[in-house]
Amino acid sequence: MRRYTRLYWEFAKSHMKVMMEYRIDFLIGVFSVMLEQFASIFFVKVVFDHIEQINGWSFYEILFIYGIAATGRSIHQIFFDNLWTLGWQYIRPGKLDRLLIRPVNPLFHVVADRLHQDGFGQLIIGLIILGTAIPQLDLVWGAAEIGMLVIMIISSGLIFVAINLFFATFSFWMIDSLPIVWAVFNMSDFARYPLTIYHKGIRMFLTWVVPYGFTAFYPAAYFIDKSGYKEFALWTPVAAIVCCVIAYAFWNRGLKAFASTGS
Amino acid sequence: MITVENLKKEYKLVKRDPGLKGAIKSLFNRKYETKHAVKGIDFSIEQGETVGYIGANGAGKSTTIKMLTGILTPTSGKVTVNGLVPYENRQKNAVNIGVVFGQRTQLFWDIPVRESYNLLKHIYEIPEHEYEETIGMFTEVLNLEPLLGIPVRQLSLGQKMRCELAAAFLHRPSVVYLDEPTIGLDIAVKVKIRKFIKEMNQRWGTTVLLTTHDMQDIEEICDRIIIIDGGTILYDGGLDEIKKQFGQKRVIHFELADKEKFVLPASLDGQVELLPNEEETKVSLSFDHETVKSSFVISEMMSMYEIGDLNIADPKIETIVEELYNKQEQGGKHEEILANS
Repeated sequence: MRRYTRLYWEFAKSHMKVMMEYRIDFLIGVFSVMLEQFASIFFVKVVFDHIEQINGWSFYEILFIYGIAATGRSIHQIFFDNLWTLGWQYIRPGKLDRLLIRPVNPLFHVVADRLHQDGFGQLIIGLIILGTAIPQLDLVWGAAEIGMLVIMIISSGLIFVAINLFFATFSFWMIDSLPIVWAVFNMSDFARYPLTIYHKGIRMFLTWVVPYGFTAFYPAAYFIDKSGYKEFALWTPVAAIVCCVIAYAFWNRGLKAFASTGS
Repeated sequence: MITVENLKKEYKLVKRDPGLKGAIKSLFNRKYETKHAVKGIDFSIEQGETVGYIGANGAGKSTTIKMLTGILTPTSGKVTVNGLVPYENRQKNAVNIGVVFGQRTQLFWDIPVRESYNLLKHIYEIPEHEYEETIGMFTEVLNLEPLLGIPVRQLSLGQKMRCELAAAFLHRPSVVYLDEPTIGLDIAVKVKIRKFIKEMNQRWGTTVLLTTHDMQDIEEICDRIIIIDGGTILYDGGLDEIKKQFGQKRVIHFELADKEKFVLPASLDGQVELLPNEEETKVSLSFDHETVKSSFVISEMMSMYEIGDLNIADPKIETIVEELYNKQEQGGKHEEILANS
């Protein structure tokens, strides 16, 4: 573990050197993500200018859910973005072979191969949204609440990672599973709104099948009394760990299948 | 240090009928075809040996190397490298091996070469003083100094290959697999690379397994060659022996005004073999350089026919492989071919 932490730091250092070398690229990347996020928040704001509540949820409550999703997703985007490229960058051109002949865990290597600048834009936006929403909520914030918020955000990030990893792993059998990963990822947009506004089927799906519900709504519900999900929300970290274990096991199976067929 | 026993690898390929119709049909009704890439090979290599692993494209070379490095799991049979089974202990095995794939880079694409080496230092946990010493030496031998600050993607093929080689030897592995390390390079870079490989072998006793299509690579680096064709080993032995037997072969291609009328001159009968040549105006004659002189063959031919042009070919690894293969097909086993030499 300590070895991998140090190794990650070495990888990160060289990525940051490259980023600083292409400073303009870095700024454009950060800025464009922020712009994109602002646009979708603006849309929510416009809706709320006309109605006061959606199914009992106020603008700032929705903003809070949104903020958790954005911050959680930024963890995924900054550190684990390379999972997207597994098919077309590693398996198709045979670059995965290169990783397999090195004395490190290949998944670690794929992940450490990239530090994504756009994710920093996502992080900044997430924090701004949280900073705007939190003072408007009916909540007393102590150390325990802040600690819990951090745990919830990390769990949210891990669920994003686990779901992406799981579907990216299909690349071992089908060369590039990007379309599937992309389709699944788009479902996470649903989870940025209160799940209670959806049909029961969708709610079940986003909780038990592709658990994006745990990336935003459930963690946020912990802090909002009237949600009715305060206790259920405590399962979020457990869900994160379970998802990661399942995704990693599936990855290992994929890797094994790859070793017996080659590319 | 490397032992390979009855190693086999089969691939399952989807069989497709041609055209769009076939493609659609195969979506619903898949037929599989088994391709035997490696059909039960055995060999063992001692520490410090330099072995050329050669054969035509598709002979099974890369598949073997992938199994030796642990990337691919064999269908059956066994490989051990330094007492480890590579595909079962891939990461542990990786510490002791270095690999160069001529067609792909091992380095980090976006970052300068020096940074790449620094990351490799951490990946392989090379002690600082050892790293400094190795890098210093490589920089000198391969003339890397001007390249260290450049990102890999901006290097030329020759520059990249020099950097690549240094990366493969950086952690002083006990065995290095080189898969076509000189492909596409100019002669000056080739010479440098051969010299480097030889030097590393002598200095550190590194075992080298090399695949190449360049006979010169083999001659300058290897003591032993293993020839593979169609997934089986045709020849395994010293380079000297095979050179004695086949390296003396000369082939001369003659361009004739009228090929139709060509018959082998009586004076050459029995000493010279007529090779099949599909070109309409050319005939190819093969003979043993030790018993028949090229000048004699040429003068005999010129006295009988009108020769437009001629061309003396060097013995190529491909022709040796082909010859070995033909002889084997004719009923003899390769051991016998060698016994006859």
